[in-house]
This record gives sequence, structure tokens and C-alpha cells, in this order.
Amino acid sequence: MTGLAEDTTAQARRRVPVRLPEGWFAWALIGPAMIFIGVIVAWPLVETFRLSFTDANLGGESWVGWENYADLWGSTKFSQTIARTFFWMALSVSLKLVMGLIGATLLNATVPGRALFRVLVMPPWVIPVAIGMIGWLWLYNGHFGMLSGMVQKIGLLDGPFEFLAYKNSAFYSAIVADVWVGTPMVTLFFLAAMQGVPKDLYEAAYVDGASRWYRFRRITIPQIMPVIVSMALLSAIWTFNSFEIIWILTEGGPRGATTTLIVDTYKVAIGNYKFGEGAACAVVIVILLALFSLVYLFFLNKVNRRYGNK
Amino acid sequence: MATLDLQNIQKSFGDAKVLHDIDLAIRDREFVVFVGPSGCGKSTLLRIIAGLEEATSGKIVIDGQDVSRDHPLDRGISMVFQSYALYPHLSVFENIAFPLRVAKMPEPDLKAKVARAAEILQLTDKLKLKPGQLSGGQRQRVAIGRSIVREPRVFLFDEPLSNLDAALRGDMRVELSQLHWQLDATMVYVTHDQVEAMTMADRIVVLNGGKVEQFGTPMELYHHPATKFVAGFIGQPNMNFLPARVCGTDTAGVAVEVANGPTLTLPVDPEGLTPGDAVEVGIHPEDLTLGDGGMTMKIHVLERLGGQSITHGHLGGTRICAALPGTAPIREAEAVELAVAPSACHLFDARGRVARRRDALALVA
Repeated sequence: MTGLAEDTTAQARRRVPVRLPEGWFAWALIGPAMIFIGVIVAWPLVETFRLSFTDANLGGESWVGWENYADLWGSTKFSQTIARTFFWMALSVSLKLVMGLIGATLLNATVPGRALFRVLVMPPWVIPVAIGMIGWLWLYNGHFGMLSGMVQKIGLLDGPFEFLAYKNSAFYSAIVADVWVGTPMVTLFFLAAMQGVPKDLYEAAYVDGASRWYRFRRITIPQIMPVIVSMALLSAIWTFNSFEIIWILTEGGPRGATTTLIVDTYKVAIGNYKFGEGAACAVVIVILLALFSLVYLFFLNKVNRRYGNK
Repeated sequence: MATLDLQNIQKSFGDAKVLHDIDLAIRDREFVVFVGPSGCGKSTLLRIIAGLEEATSGKIVIDGQDVSRDHPLDRGISMVFQSYALYPHLSVFENIAFPLRVAKMPEPDLKAKVARAAEILQLTDKLKLKPGQLSGGQRQRVAIGRSIVREPRVFLFDEPLSNLDAALRGDMRVELSQLHWQLDATMVYVTHDQVEAMTMADRIVVLNGGKVEQFGTPMELYHHPATKFVAGFIGQPNMNFLPARVCGTDTAGVAVEVANGPTLTLPVDPEGLTPGDAVEVGIHPEDLTLGDGGMTMKIHVLERLGGQSITHGHLGGTRICAALPGTAPIREAEAVELAVAPSACHLFDARGRVARRRDALALVA
């Protein structure tokens, strides 16, 4: 008996390791990422909030309280910019989703050379945006651009047309360029989702007499709905924050016609060195996108419940 | 309901010929099972009947009408898929109603039909659930419900039970047989499981390498297999094949000398057989009995099932299996003497063709 007891205590003594406090290891793993996020996300965010309550510029800063926000609230120009931004976002995202759906459906069809078509979709997304936009600048150019030339050749116009020189045409031209950049990724996500739909479902529906369109509506769309909603949210945020496309094409002009919130913020903060006011604009963007995301996530949840398996 | 005739169906995928000249006449209200090992072409044949694949040549005739080029809907067939192919985002009700929605059936009729199908399949209290909330067997029933509401002329089933566990499969076999009786419909059923084929079929089509090996009732296949392939495929455990040599033919039949075994005179037609030919004697494990029949089996593995003792071992160099009585006084690693009645034996020539057995056993049709 005693021998056995001694044996087990000896074993226990041997097994005692160098024990670190509970959870230490977990913190060690998470730590680097937390420091990283702290430095590049959290601190700038806090700093932006602080700056938005100052009149910071190149000459220094002093605390002004809510003044920057009050100015924004009272400015018709700012409310117009917000409205324009949402219109920009809604139109561009809708077009990307519709084009993405059409593209993915075509790429999912069994046609000869399908792999080639799939590769050909990629360039707008793969080419650096700046380079792509220089290309569009030339396309939209009135004197040397292909579009203006074609429009004249068809006979729609009798002189050169500068697409980016007029308020409306500049806005819609920028939308077209933005859709051009954003569609490929949406297409690829939709294509991946469509390929995940079991073939049997289509065959069963085919045997039951469902037409192509019926199958698309009643099987494809519901089956990929969670991906559609996710892509809508993601591309809405990207489009909202789409800066370089507009900046390279129009710098927000003519006369503010393509100035979205993000462009406006840049102009105020970096263009006019009004860091305080710019920070206030940036905070408005953060709040708007946060609200937008909340509404969307709620919606996504609902969609998942409706179209998911359970 | 309907008759289904397949006339010279051939199918090639590129250079690979997967179906050779399939000719079958399926009767009205018959339950026909296509059975065969994987890759034998049975699913392809079913998909051709369904209209999901086009035959390279040949005709599909339903009720005397050539439907080879028709859309599945116009053929009047419905199909139950191996994966069930239920729409995960739709409720059980909507899944069953799907074909009727496609056909734009008025709501009251549609509701009545779905309710009727749900009642037959005991799904009435599950109509509001999604497929993801159902068990495998219930999903299977929903898939069947979807094909019932169409009121097709021919029901097609593609390995519908292969995703279920063994116990449930047994239950569903009984339910499907009952359903066939209830709906009084022509049904074509594909499986690789010979037990499903034997238990459910009115007639079985055994396919091998894209050819029909035999088309007959389960009892015909069991007692009068046309080829060695059919004999080896039908029956559980599988038939034993013992190498033998023909030593003489006369009016009583064919005398064969079984390697490491007795000389037996089998009551079969000697047509095409001459003394000295290498042949194989086929014996169902359940036809082997304990007794001094000149066969000494060395037992390797003994599976006591209670009612039966499935005994695996060797006869000389040949593997052999015997289904002996549950209480047979035998042990593993021992030798046991076995006997067989000559009338229970099957005789196959070197090319796997059977010699016709004379004693026409009473066939249970």
C-alpha cells in the first residue's frame, strides 16, 4: 500500500511542469496581431476622432469642439455630396451585380473554350486601377478617344465629345469605369457559387419540365442568394470608398459632379490642408458605413435563414 | 399506366461504347430493376429513358409511341435521384409541389395533390419543414412525393436507397414495394445491390459491360442463370465456382470430375460439351450440406448468424463458401465433409455460358 502511494506521489512530482498563468499562451499568439491592428487601425481611428474636434492645419491645431460637425450639418454642399455618394453607390453596385450575374451565367454554360473566356474576364480586375483608368481617360478623350470617334462615325454627334467635361456625362462615365473594374470579381464569386449548386437539382427540375429561366429563378438565384447578398455588401463598401477611379478620371469634377464623400474628404484634408474638417468628414463616413453594414448584416442573416438549409 | 420498350439502344461517349444494343420490353405496371456492378451502364440507360442523355442510336417507345426525341415531360416519366435532389431552400410542401408549379396548376388542385401524396408517404406533418430538417428516409420520401404528384406513366429510380443506412434501407425496400402496389405503376429501378433487385423486382435486368446478361424474374435468375456472371452476381453469399473436367455425356446428363472433389453426373443438356472440356460447376452456398459427398473443406472463417453458419474455407486450392445450419457442429481451422445434390448444380463452359438444367424447378413467378 505505502509503496504504491509513494510511487504515485513520485510520478506527480515528476510531472509538474513550468506552469505559465492561464491563457498566457493564447495572449502570446494573439498579441502580435493585436499590436499590428492597434498601430495601423485603432490608433489612426482614435486620432481621426480627436482631430475632428480641432481646426488642425499645417500651422497647428486648437480644440474647436463640435464646430466642424456643425459646419457639415449646415452645409447644403455636404448633404448633396452624401446624396450623390449614395446614388453613385446604388447605381454602380446594382450594375456590378447584374453584370456579374449575367457574366457568371454565361461562363457557367458549357461552351467550347470556356476556360479562355474565364481568363478573359480577369484583366479589368488584375490591371492596376491607375493604369486601367489612364486607358479610360483616353477612351473618353474628345479629340483622340475611341468613344467620341465611334459616336461621330455612327452619326449620333457631329463634333468631338469630351465625356468627362460635362456634369452628367462625367458622372455616368465614371460609373462605367467603376463597374468595369468591379464586375470581374463579382462575376468570379457568382461563378464559384453557381458551380457549387448540385447538378442534380437542375436535372430534377429539367425532368419536371422547368424552363431555363425558371430553373435560373427558382434554383440558381435562391441557391447563390447568400453570396449575392455578401457581394452586394462588400462591393457597396468598396464602391462607397472608390477613390482612385474618380480621382484619376475627373478629380471630382466638373464642378463637383463626381465628388463623392471620400473624394470630398481628400480634397478638404489633403488638398486644402484642413485636417480637422477632413477628419470630421472621415468620421461621418465611418458612421455611415457602420450603420450601413449593420442593416446589411441583419438582412444577410434573414436571407441565410430563408435560403439556407435550416 | 404504360409499357416501355427499348429498341437497339446504343450509347457511346467519344470512343467508349457504354451500351451495346439494349433491347428490352417492359410490361405495363411492371417493377423492373436494372442491376449490375458500377460502370455497367445501368445509370446511363436510366438517364437515356429519362431524357437526360440522348442515345447514340435506338428507340425508346412508351405505350407504343416513339419518345426518343421528346422532352422528359412529354415522355411522361418522373425520376427519383440518388441524391434526392431536393431544393434546400424550399419547404417540403414546395418541393413536392415543384412540378405542379412548373405546370402552373391552379392552387386548390395543387394543394389537394400535394396533400394526397403527403398522406401516401406519411409526410403530412412535415410539409412545413425544410429538407435539411428531415432524416434520410424522410428526404427520400419527399423525393418520391415529388415524382408521384406528376402522375407519370413511368417512374424511374436511380439508386434511391444507397445513401441510407442498412436498417432504413430494409424498411424503405418494403415501403417502395408497397408503393408500387398502391400506385399500380410501371417502375424502373437502378441499383448495384442484388438484394434490392431480388426483393423488389418483378423482373430483373442484369447488365454487365453495357450488355444485357439476362432479363428475367428473380427466381429465374437464381435457379436458371444464363451466364456465370449472372450466377455470381445473384444470391447472397455468392455462388461457388469449382473447376472441373467433363468426363462423359449421356442421356442422364453430363458427368464431371470436380477438382479435389467427387465425380458427379449433372442433369443438364450436354449440348456443345465434349469429354475433356474444362468447365466450372456452380453451387449456391446454401445447396452445400454436411455429409460425405467427397468434398473436404478446410474451414478458415466461420460466421455464426444464428439461423445459419456461413462457412468460408478452401476445397483444394479453390475458395468455397457454405451456408450450413446454425447449429452445425463445426469449428474454425477444422476440416469438414460436404455434399451436394447433382440436381442443384449449375454447369458453365469455359466461356461462362450455362448448360441448360433439365429439372425445371418450380419457378415462383
